[in-house]
Order: sequence, then structure tokens, then C-alpha cells
Amino acid sequence: MIELKDLHIGYSFQKRPSTSSGTVFENLNVEFNKGELIGLVGDNGIGKSTLLKTITGNLKPLKGTILINGKSLDTISAKEISKNISIVLTDKIGGFNLTVFDIVASGRIPFLNAFGQLKTEDEEIVKQSLENTGLAELSNKLIDELSDGQRQKVMIAKSFAQQTPVILLDEPTAFLDYTSKQHLFKWLKQMCVEQQKTIIVSSHDLEILFKNVDKVLYLKNDKTFVFGKAEAIKTYFA
Amino acid sequence: MQKKFILNIFILATATALLFFINLFFGTVKFSLADLQNPSIANIFYEIRIPKAFTALLAGAALALAGLLMQTLFRNPLAGPYVLGISSGASLFVAIAIMLVNSFGLGDHYFVGKTIISISAIVGALLVTLVILFISKKSGSNITVLLVGIMLSQILGAFQGLIEYLASADSLKTFVIWGMGSVSNTTNKDLGLMLPVCGVLFFSSLFLAKPLNALLLNESYAQNLGINVAKLRITIIVITAVLTGIITAFCGPIAFVGMSVPIACRLLFKTSNQLHQIVYCILLGACTLLFCDSVCQLLSTNFSLPINTITTLIGSPFVIYLIFRSRTLN
Repeated sequence: MIELKDLHIGYSFQKRPSTSSGTVFENLNVEFNKGELIGLVGDNGIGKSTLLKTITGNLKPLKGTILINGKSLDTISAKEISKNISIVLTDKIGGFNLTVFDIVASGRIPFLNAFGQLKTEDEEIVKQSLENTGLAELSNKLIDELSDGQRQKVMIAKSFAQQTPVILLDEPTAFLDYTSKQHLFKWLKQMCVEQQKTIIVSSHDLEILFKNVDKVLYLKNDKTFVFGKAEAIKTYFA
Repeated sequence: MQKKFILNIFILATATALLFFINLFFGTVKFSLADLQNPSIANIFYEIRIPKAFTALLAGAALALAGLLMQTLFRNPLAGPYVLGISSGASLFVAIAIMLVNSFGLGDHYFVGKTIISISAIVGALLVTLVILFISKKSGSNITVLLVGIMLSQILGAFQGLIEYLASADSLKTFVIWGMGSVSNTTNKDLGLMLPVCGVLFFSSLFLAKPLNALLLNESYAQNLGINVAKLRITIIVITAVLTGIITAFCGPIAFVGMSVPIACRLLFKTSNQLHQIVYCILLGACTLLFCDSVCQLLSTNFSLPINTITTLIGSPFVIYLIFRSRTLN
């Protein structure tokens, strides 16, 4: 379970001198439970990506706390976080001979020995993630040779291979075709139900999002938020 | 995958051993194995050729490893100690150190003199690496980082020129010879300093394989994979600065090896696995400089050419070729 308590998110003043305070969103108080598929919606620049990066520890909260299963994120080591939360970012990855297999296998890094050698069980998990995302045939392809949609799937497969109880996906449907979007939400839903994972998905594809998620966190332009069942939040977009 | 790795290591290690052996017999004095009975030939062999071959092996391996680490840290395939001005930083500080050592007569005390020069080179390399890292964080553009590195190299070169202009005749001679880059001026005593430092860093770098694999994605993903990115960045900077600094202190600035060898390894061995790439770079770097030094000896019968002539003649066209291969440069 993830709890956000009086959470202020944004960038420290030094990093963003152009903004007066660097605060992107304030006073977030939300609880995400096990087995829930959660949608994160709001306009561009409202703070969806910032929130997801703050929950993974990539950004420090400006104020307030994040609790993971009752433990404050500050007190959890980076290694422990990596075994609990995985993220799919919007950043484009490429070059350096990286193949689809290499990237998906990087999801196993938190579990590997000092030299980063994959064990048989790790390879099995990677293969399973590749199959689940329909990438098995592209396994040996260089990431640079793939379309944006395929790249997106590779990063999602990496996140699956990390096998964390919490998965955060930042606009995972951005480059996907309609069928792939439907498949993605089907897998996500299945993982929430069967493996009791907590999955948060930010997206601008409101139609498909509201159809599939259990709850929605809506970051509004007036810097307030609403959180609740998908059907209830949908009324704000009517 | 593992079999291919072992086979590649075997091929590279054999090539290194072969080039090392050939290099031992290349020089202004020609002799064969049988001539080692002659005390003066044996003296040349043990006091000049062996340290020279070992220096070429170590310098090539160290610069290639430094290049690989920098290219991964900056996520820039054109990064390297020479191109980004890190060798120039080391050179400037070495020039200052040589002048001070000569002025205070510390050159007579071997370890004091060499230690001051080595530490100065490391400090120079470290300072430039930190400046480049700062610019890389600010700009994020590979080309900007590269251009700033080249400009920085010019500025540091100008300062070095000024120091050389003001230097005494003795110091000037030392600068000029050292600045051409050579693996021929080291002694067995010098190896006693270089070998343990490089050996420890080569071995330590193997333990960076896992975090480097994560860093290939990007810093945010690496952090999410449990890597302490700030600590990793500092470790890489220290290792590259010490490797570049110590090699520059003893051999002068050596061009292109640090940049070209890691790229060649990526093109030849087609793997992103950084454990494999570290080993490949160390071995191919050693092969490259042993080969270049042997060519230097071959092209001239009476004296050995500065090694930078050959590394630049081979390295520059290779880099131009790579610039046109945009996919490799990402």
C-alpha cells in the first residue's frame, strides 16, 4: 500500500530558477491499495510525471511523506525501493548496442550479483515478460531499430521483469495502437487481480483509461485534486 | 553468449601476448633472442624494452577503459580523455609540476619528483572531468559537451604554452619530449608506480559492470534499478581521472586511444554488457598501443617516432568514419 501524506511535489529552487518556488503540486493526501489499478489524469505540466518520479524516489518530496507499506520512503534504501517499485518513463532509450532482451533483462538488475550476471531463473522471467508483451520475436533486435510503440512495450516489459508489487507507468499508451492499448490494460488488470499489484498509470487516453481502471486520481488545473472510483471521477469530464 | 565472450577474450589475450612479444624486439637496436647472452643487449632488453612494452600495454588498456567509462557516464560515444580535454588538464598540471620539481631540485629524489608529477596529473584530469560533467548536466547535448571539451583543451594548451615559454631550457626540453607522447621513456621504477595503480583500477572497474549496465538506460532508470547514481558518478570520475592522470604523467598526452577503442569494441563485439566491454576495452586498448608503438619503431631505423603521430593517423580517420555513421553515434 502507498500513502501520500500532505505531499508537496516539485523541483528544488536551485534546479528550477525560472519558477518562483519550484512547487508543482501541493497537499496531496491519497492512499493506493494492493490490487488496485489506478489512473492518473490531468493536463500537461500539472505534475503527473513529477508525482510518479517522487513516488519512486527519483525526486525528493518538497514537503510531506510517502509511506510504502507503512515505511517512510526516506528510510528505505534505493535497492529496497527498486525491489518494490518499478517505473516506465517517457524518456527514449537507445544506442550502445542495446537489444530488446538487454533492456528487459535490466529489470532484473536489483536481483543480480556484483557482476550483473543473469541466472537461469532471471532469464526465464525475462523471456516470460517478453512473451507477455508480444516481444519474444524481437528479442535480439537493437532497440534503435524499433518503432516508438515497440520501444514503449520494451520498457513496459522491463518493468514487468522487475517483478515489483508496485508499478508506475508514465503515459505508457502514448505511442501504442488501439489493439496494443487494449492488451496493455488487460495485462495490467490481470496483474492487479492475480498478483495483487498496485499499478498507477498516467494517460491522456481517457476513454480507454476510465473503461479499465478501478480508481482515478485527477490533478485539476486549480491545483486541487479528486480521487475516487473511476465512474465517479468520470463525471468531471462529462 | 558466455562461450563467445571466452573465445573473444582468448583471441584478444593471444593478440596482446603476440604484440607484446613482437614489441620487445622492435627498436633502434636490432637483436634476436639468442643475442640476450650479450650483457649490453640484455641490459637494453630488461631495462628499456620490457618497461616500454609494459607501458604500451598499460597505457593502451588504461586509456581505453577511461574512455569506455566516460562514454557510458556521459552517454556520449565521442567522449574520451583526449577529446574532452582531460589529457590537457593533466598535461597542464604536469607542466606546472615539472617546472616546480626542477626549480626546487626535487627531480633528484625519484619518488618525490614522480609522485608530485603523478598527483598533479591526476588533479588536473579530475578538475577538467568535473567541469565537463557540470557542462554535461547543464546542457545535456552531446555536441555541446564535445565542443566545450575541444575549446577547454585549447585553453589549457595555451596556458601550457605560456608555461613552456617561461620555462628554463632544461624544463622546456623535458616538456617538449614528454608532450609528444611516448611509451619509451619509462623505467622499471616507473612501472613500479604505474602497474599497481592500474592493476587495482582495472580490477575494481569489473565491479562497476552492473551499475554501468543500468546507466546505459539513463540516470532515472538506473536509480529506479537500485543504483546510487551520485556515488557511481564520483567513482567513474575518480577512476578515469587517476587512469588518465597517471598515464599522462609518464607517457604524455596520448591521442584518440581512449575514444576509438571503446567504439571499436562496440562495433566489433556487438554487446551492451559492460562486464564484457570492460574486458574487451582493456585487451584491445593494450593491443592498439602495442601495435602503434611497434609501427613507430618500424617506420624509423634511427629513432622512434612520437606515438601520437601513429595514434592520430589511425584514430582520426576512424572518428571521421564514425561521425558519418550516425546510428553508432546515437
